[in-house]
Parts: sequence; C-alpha cells; structure tokens
Amino acid sequence: MNIKKIIVIYKKEMLDLLRDKRTIITSFVLPIILYPLLMIGFSSMMSRQEIKLEQQGIVIYLNDIAQNEISREIRGSLSEIETLQIMDEAIVYDEDTYLDLLKDKSIEALITVEDSLSSTGYTILNLTCFYDETSEKSSMAYRKIRDNLRDLEEVLISKRLEKIKINSEILNAVEIKKENIAPPEQMVGFIVGKFLPYLLIILTISGASVIASDLIAGEKERGTLETILVSAAKRNELVIGKYLTIITISIITVLLNLLSMYISFRHIFMQMGQTMGNFQLPIGNFALILLLMIPLITFFSAILLSISTYSRNIKEAQSYQMPLLFGAIMLSMVSFLPGFELNLGFALIPIVNFSLLMRDIMLNNYQLSYLFIVIGSTLVLDVVTVYISIKLFHSEKVLFRTAEEKSLKFWGKDKKDILNLQFVFVYFIIMIIALYYIGGSWQIQDLMRGLVKTEVLLILLPVIVILRFSKTDIKKTLRLNYTNPMNFLLVIIAALPFLLLAGILGQIINLIFPLSETYLENLQSLLSTDQTSIWMIIFVVGILPGICEEVMFRGFILSSLKKNGFWHGIIFTAVLFGVFHLDPFRFLPVSLLGIWLGYLAWKTKSLYVPILAHIMQNSLAILITNYSDKFKFLDFIVKDGNIAYWVIIPAVIIIYFVVKGLHTFNPAETKDNSLEY
Amino acid sequence: MITVNNLSKVFRQQNGEELYAVNNLSFTADKGEIVVLLGVNGAGKTTTMRMLSTILQPSSGTATLEGYDLKKDPQNVRANLGFLSGDTGLYARLTARETITYFARLYDVPENTIHDRINKMADLLDMHDFLDKKIDFLSTGMKQKVSIARSIIHDPPIMIFDEPTAGLDILTAKNIISFIHKCKEDGKCVLFSTHIMREAERIADKIVMIHQGKILAQGSWDDLKKNTGLIDLDDIFIHYVNNVEKEDA
Repeated sequence: MNIKKIIVIYKKEMLDLLRDKRTIITSFVLPIILYPLLMIGFSSMMSRQEIKLEQQGIVIYLNDIAQNEISREIRGSLSEIETLQIMDEAIVYDEDTYLDLLKDKSIEALITVEDSLSSTGYTILNLTCFYDETSEKSSMAYRKIRDNLRDLEEVLISKRLEKIKINSEILNAVEIKKENIAPPEQMVGFIVGKFLPYLLIILTISGASVIASDLIAGEKERGTLETILVSAAKRNELVIGKYLTIITISIITVLLNLLSMYISFRHIFMQMGQTMGNFQLPIGNFALILLLMIPLITFFSAILLSISTYSRNIKEAQSYQMPLLFGAIMLSMVSFLPGFELNLGFALIPIVNFSLLMRDIMLNNYQLSYLFIVIGSTLVLDVVTVYISIKLFHSEKVLFRTAEEKSLKFWGKDKKDILNLQFVFVYFIIMIIALYYIGGSWQIQDLMRGLVKTEVLLILLPVIVILRFSKTDIKKTLRLNYTNPMNFLLVIIAALPFLLLAGILGQIINLIFPLSETYLENLQSLLSTDQTSIWMIIFVVGILPGICEEVMFRGFILSSLKKNGFWHGIIFTAVLFGVFHLDPFRFLPVSLLGIWLGYLAWKTKSLYVPILAHIMQNSLAILITNYSDKFKFLDFIVKDGNIAYWVIIPAVIIIYFVVKGLHTFNPAETKDNSLEY
Repeated sequence: MITVNNLSKVFRQQNGEELYAVNNLSFTADKGEIVVLLGVNGAGKTTTMRMLSTILQPSSGTATLEGYDLKKDPQNVRANLGFLSGDTGLYARLTARETITYFARLYDVPENTIHDRINKMADLLDMHDFLDKKIDFLSTGMKQKVSIARSIIHDPPIMIFDEPTAGLDILTAKNIISFIHKCKEDGKCVLFSTHIMREAERIADKIVMIHQGKILAQGSWDDLKKNTGLIDLDDIFIHYVNNVEKEDA
C-alpha cells in the first residue's frame, strides 16, 4: 500500500465532500444550530408558554352541595387566587353537564364539595376536583387549587386544635428535610448523561451515512467507479482513502456536537447562575467522550462503507442503512433505561457499551477496566469490519452487482421458484408476528392447549398449505426419505452429550448476563410436572415441536435456501431457529442445536433423523428437570442445576464419533457440497 | 501492444447455471493500430474491455498489455493504459483542472510536470476556457473533453475505448473519433468497441467480430470482404452470425 496514494484519494474526497451541501448541512450546520435551538429556544419557549398560561384566566365551577361555613370558606379562599374565576352558581346543572363543559374546555376544572360526619362527630369536607390532565391549562388549574386548599386545610386544622387547646405544633412529630448531596456538576452529568449518548450516536451515524453512501454507491451511480478502478491506485488504497474521509468528517461532526452542546449548556447555566450557584461544566468528561467516540466512529464508518460498496446506487445504500440506523437508535436508548448498569456482558455489545459508558462518564462514575474493554472490543470489531469492507471492494460480484429479478411468482404460472431467500424471510417475519400475538394469546388462555394450537396451526399448517399451493414436491422438499436405521441410533447416542453442551453454553451466557429469577422460574414451570402429567408435557413440549418445527425449519426453510450453499443454508436456518424462540438468552444454545439438526438433515438426506434428535433433546430436558433430584448418583454431572464443565470433553468426544459414524453410514455421493439430493 | 490468449469469463447466474460472457477470445492489437471489437449488445464487448483493463478477473486465459500479464501484474497493466467508455462519469463538484490533476496523481505522473501536461492537453483539446469551472456547469461536449484528458494524462501507450460514442451527439462523437485518429498517429495501440457497423468501417485497421462471447471472424476490412464475397459490413456480420447459428443447430 502506498501512503502517498491514500493521501491523494483522501484529499480529493475531502475536497469533493466539503463542496457538497448535504454533507455541510448534516455534518456541520445541524450540530451547530441544533443545541442552541433545542436548549435555549426550547427553554425560553417553555417559560414563555407558562407565562402565557398564567396570564390567561382560569374558569372553574364550584358545585357546593355542602353549603356550610367551611365550604363558603373554601370559596372565599379560592376566589383569592388571581386569574381564577369561579362561575356563577345561578345556573344549576347536573354533574354530567359540568363534565361536558370540562371536556369542551369551556371550564378548566370542576369542584364538588360534599360533607360527611366522622365517627367522632367532626365534619369532614369531601372535595373532588375534576380536571383534564392532557390539558396544560386544566392541569395548572388543578395545581393551583390543590396548593390553595392545602394551605386552607392547615388553617382549618389549627383552628380546630385551638378550640380544644392543643398547640398545632403537635402535628410536627417527624419533619422530613430534603438535602441533595449531589453537587450541581453531578446533577448536570446525570441529566446530560441520559440523552447525550443517544444524540451523539444518532447524529454521528446519520452524518456518516450520508457521506458513506456518496463515496462508493455514489461513484457507481455517476459512473466514476470504473475510472478509479482502472487507475494505477490499488483497491486497498481506494478503500482506505475513502474510509479515512468518513472518519475525519464524523470526528468533526462529533467535535462540533460536543462543542455546541457545551456552549449551549454554559449559556443556560450562566443564566441560572444566581439560583444554582456558580460551577464549572465537566469539560474533562466532554473531552473523554470525544476520545471515546473515535473507535465507535471507525466501526460505523467501516459498516457504512461496506453497505455503500454493496449497493448499486445511493438510494439503495440509504435503504440498506435504515435497519442499521434503527438498530443503533434502539441500542443507544439503553442509557434512558433505569437499572441498566455496565457489566462485562454489556461492555461487549456495540453501541450499548458506549451508551452506558458515556452515561457513567458524565456521572463521574466509570471504571477504567470497562473503558478498556469497551474500546478494545470495538477495535477488534473495527479490524473485522474494515477487512470485510476491503474484501467486498475486491469482489466483482458485489462491485458490479446487476439488478436481480425479485418477484414472488407465487400465484403465477411459474411456480417452481417461489422457495427462495426473500420469500422465506418474509414468511418468517409474518410467522414470528403471528406467533407472538396469536400464539401468545392462546397460551395465556390455556398454556398446554395454546402450545398445541400454536405448533399445529401456526407452524405446521401454513407450511403444508404453501407447499400444496406452490405445487412443490412435498416429499422431496421436506426430505421425507428412507434412511439408514443406524442414523437413528447415532442420534440417540448424541442426544445427551449435545444437551449437556447446549446447557453449558447457556450456563456461560448466564455468567455474562445473569438471568432474572422470575425468568428461570417460568422456564422451569413449563418443563415441570407440577400441574400436568409428565406424558402430557412430553407430548406438548417434546414430541409435537420436534415434528412441527422440523417440518418448518429443516424441511421447508432449509430446502428453500439450498441454492445459497451448504453451510450458508444450515447456518441461516439455525439463526432463524434461534430467533424463532423469541428469547435472547437462549438464542445461542438454540442456534447451536439448529446447526446440529441442519447438519443431520443434510447428511442423512432425511427429515426423520432431525425430528428424532429434536424430540430427544426436548424430552431429555423435561426428564432432567423433573427427575434429576431423584437420581443422586448423577450429582457429579449436574448439581443444583449446574452442569460440571469437565463434561465438555467426553461430550465432544462422543459427538465426534457420532459425526464419524454419520459419515460412514451416509457417504457423500458427489464432491460438491450442494444440498441437492 | 495487446496480446489476448484464450480469454474467458464465466458468470454464475441466479439459478446456479454458468454463463460464458466471454468464451476463449484470442486476438492481437499492435502499436499504431486501431482494432475494433464489433458485436451486438450483450456480445461480451464490455466484459472483454473490463478484463483487459483489470476491473474484472478473467475466469481462464490471459492477456498481456505492453508485455505485462493481466493476472500477474495488473498494477503495471493499469499504469500503461487509458480507459474511456461512453458511460464513465466525472466528479460534478470538482473543476476540470482538479479532476485531471487527481488522475495524474493516481497515475504517478511526476508532480512538477502535471501543470505543463494539463496545459498541453488544454491546447490540444481546446479546453482553456473551462479548465477552472466545475464539471457541473460544463456542456456534454466539454465534459467529454475532460474525460479524454483524464484518460490520457499519463500518456499511456495503450488506449481502450468501450463504446465511447454511445449516447453522444454527432459533433461530440466527432471529437472522439478525431482523437482516436490522433492516438493512432502518435503510435498508440487502440482498442475500440462498438455495435455500430458504420463506425467500425470508418476507423478500423482490424475488426474482431464477436457474438455470444465468441469470435465470429477477425481481419482487416478487405480480408472480411474477400472471405465472404460481400461488400456491406452489415451483411458480412449477419452472414457470420447465421453461419454460427447453423452450426449450433
């Protein structure tokens, strides 16, 4: 690689982008004007709005049913509130009419006053204040009335106490005083720390995405890509030059963001200086965050560059960027959530780690070790994504991608080709939604019955209907083929080792992301026999899913993906299988099981084998949950629900021999690894 | 000089079938010679041109350009060729001078000669009036001149033109054609692709007819006339296509 060439490319891209209005606006102008607008404008608008509300008259209706001395006193007290006007009592409506008036916003509040006698003979006034919390004006009326009447109550009580000659101070047995020990700096950090990560991440990605889409997809669109590819520059140099451009502009964007934010805050606090006391904004924290943003920027830039390389034009690049942007928004919002603290697990999840770490930095409450883990793990991801980016830029298939014909010829005459990646993906999403809403509501009504209905009606039936309609050869697609009986024996041998391995994987995940107690209890209750007979559970949780889910995943989905190559098809199916269980904590163990089941289907060319394996897995899990206490001699493997780690070794050895056995009994017919039969 | 040996390019289609976009192509192009690659749309012209300019990797076979092997030494191949196609674009936000300078640097033209070279180019192509204007504000003809200047700023011995006149008006196309003649006069080796028979007839020293990725016939204009007994290039081309289709049937 020639550094001089990279600089030439970098300089040209910078010059080109700095002349682009879109880049200037999204990367430079927006951050500069956003914060002053947001903070100064917003706060002054709010206070102005409040003053405006204050000045407007508030009209309330007082429905005095009690008509006694105290109720008259209430009226007197309320009428002292400035701008509050109590409507004339001459017209007497019923309560519903008043409520209608309140709904029409003709009045801001309705107060009814009734009286009752306490058991000791004192008169208690029951006062109900009707108001509309969605209306600013009505809420303000309520607040004013409440404050006014609280004062009145105190006066009334002390009068009563005076009558029986008791000092009203007797009521002050406990006095609570509020003293916030957090210094103003920390309070600012607390507030800013919540939304700063979110704002920074979103603004950085949206700025970088505009640039990235222009840099490669834009070159394709304008027809300039060929001209640089035939030039004497190497492809690596082109990618790196462009990559550095995105990074530079993104860093400037972040810098401007932080600077503008800092100045806006200072302005606001200087205005409030008299009331809050003078203090310094934590400038060191802002600087640390700027430093921290660099690895995050390099990570995003590489992803965005890969998307841009893959896309045929800017529009396509932008549509591919959308999921990334949405994902980033969701993950960065974690700083808003209470109870989410940075731990080892979260420190390894991109975006979430930055969001939480930035919040802690603003609170002056971060651990150096996590800072290094977050930066380190992101740098590793950086290297991977840059490598992918360069790889993509070397791939002819990606660089000169032509339009693909994407039509679901489902209802047309040509029914051969419906089972493809796009179709499976759309189908899977619809199925997941149905599973969540329809299946979920069935299971709430009656768990066992609901599970049966979900498996049969939502998972099995649609697949059969689709295969029927598409006139596909069902037997061939679902691999309902005869297979060597030895395969079944091998699967039975592998079942326990596999379950233990998946269990250990789950255990490790549990170490990194501790599961909540309620979660574990729910899972246990599904598998245990407290309410239902063991045979019922084995049928509903063991056998039925084994059949229905295998038909869908290793039958329908895997066959649809066979064009995408052997491992691609199996892994993609396994990932969908993991997602299908709608449980992030079980995603990895279930996906691992999915890979095993996919491998079995491919190797034995028969769906019956993964069906048996699946049934064995589920049923064994049920049996272990229910009977592990009864077999004390198994304690050396599973104790208190924890699997011993040494089990990995024998389990892997057994699985190795099972795989060897599978290869012996199911010799490959052709050399290529296609999923054809 | 270009020597193409059994060059092939296979694309894998969506349905998994293989498609030979270029099938076993062999021909040569000498110094000071204009060789025209003639074929209908989809014949494999652009794929061939892209392989020769190292944008695409050949599936099999190879070619040498100025003695440098396409596969082994793509860097030197690129340094020795200029590439211009009908749909190559320019950077709208850069000026003509900035664009040409950028490519001069990519091609390692010595920094102290870039200024002079651009001036010479501007004399040759009559570009002085718009050298410092942004590309966005230039007419199609002016843009075409910038594209030409960009492609020859490093004075390459080989020029590859992939349908350079496609979509251009007669006057702009004429600029290109006269530029191609200039290249020949300067002793450059020129490879030119087109689907317009008249164009080929007018400028070619040698015609290579390709159809469905394969060579139908090659030779000078006179050779082709002699071999077929026909005088019109359209008729000659159709004659060869029919021959191939008869063989296939």
